Amino acid sequence: MILAVLGLLLGILIGTLCPWSIPLAYAKFFSVALLASLDSVFGGLRAASENNFDDVIFISGFFTNALLAALLVYIGDRLGIDLYYVALLAFGLRIFNNLAIIRRYFLKKH
Amino acid sequence: MVHFKRGRLSIACVCMVLGFMLAVQFRSTQDIKASVPYQRVEDLSARLQQSEKDKDALQAELEDIKSRAGEEQNNKIGEDLRSAAGLTALEGPGVVVTIEDSKKSAKADEDLNLYLVHDEDLLKVVNELRAAGAEAVSINGQRMTATSELRCAGPTLSVNNVRSAPPYEIRAIGDIKTLENALKMRGGVAETLKVWGISMDIRTSENVLVPAYKGSTKLKYGKVTDRQEETP
Repeated sequence: MILAVLGLLLGILIGTLCPWSIPLAYAKFFSVALLASLDSVFGGLRAASENNFDDVIFISGFFTNALLAALLVYIGDRLGIDLYYVALLAFGLRIFNNLAIIRRYFLKKH
Repeated sequence: MVHFKRGRLSIACVCMVLGFMLAVQFRSTQDIKASVPYQRVEDLSARLQQSEKDKDALQAELEDIKSRAGEEQNNKIGEDLRSAAGLTALEGPGVVVTIEDSKKSAKADEDLNLYLVHDEDLLKVVNELRAAGAEAVSINGQRMTATSELRCAGPTLSVNNVRSAPPYEIRAIGDIKTLENALKMRGGVAETLKVWGISMDIRTSENVLVPAYKGSTKLKYGKVTDRQEETP
């Protein structure tokens, strides 16, 4: 856990020190990718709480989810279908779902 | 938290990527939030400048039109006056009269001067042309104006203080027929000069060019006044 928090802090540090930022045109995709990543992390936490955490699934899910979410939004953008909000809604729901499960886990434990 | 022991490194890596993404996204959002109003300000200032430029241009145009409305009339009158005063070259139908000294040789006891062209002869011609309604007259390229003199200066002729020698070419713009007849009429100036062998060639043309007066128009002594009548 400490390693994970350290990794998070390190990532934030690198991101803050990094000179470049996302261009306005790609901000949408990046935010969706970020949401997907967050969803994956919370999903991983939930899996850990349910005791069926898998390393490979977690990592592959993290990256593919983020990339696919961005890709889907991009395709939607090209086709004139605003999948951005759909992805936002889906990932948001899942994150809150996962959060609720994690909360219950902690409540049960203590 | 026992479960996390498995693949801790992978989680750390993922968390690092997540943190990186979070930070970048955070900064991007800050940038966008900060940049949009800034862009707006730039946009508005550019538009303001453009509007001011437009305003200036329109104002200048308005001034121009305003001044031109009055000027146009003045210009028209001024143009007519300039033409009448001989300050502009004129073109139109008229006659070109060429007068040359007599080819006859004077007899021993006769005055040589009688066979030469004199200022009086030219004055008569010019006077006749003016009486016939000539609008512009020039002698050897010198436009006859209201103040032009026409007099002998030794063997040459002086018009507008410019001297020229014979042959004298008098150009006049006006009604061709009237001008021609005025000169050729019986007992007229052409007939009189012919007696002395002074040749007078009258050529009519649809397109006579009378040059402009090139001298100064400055008045040295006269002053413009509003007085209409002479008071004793």
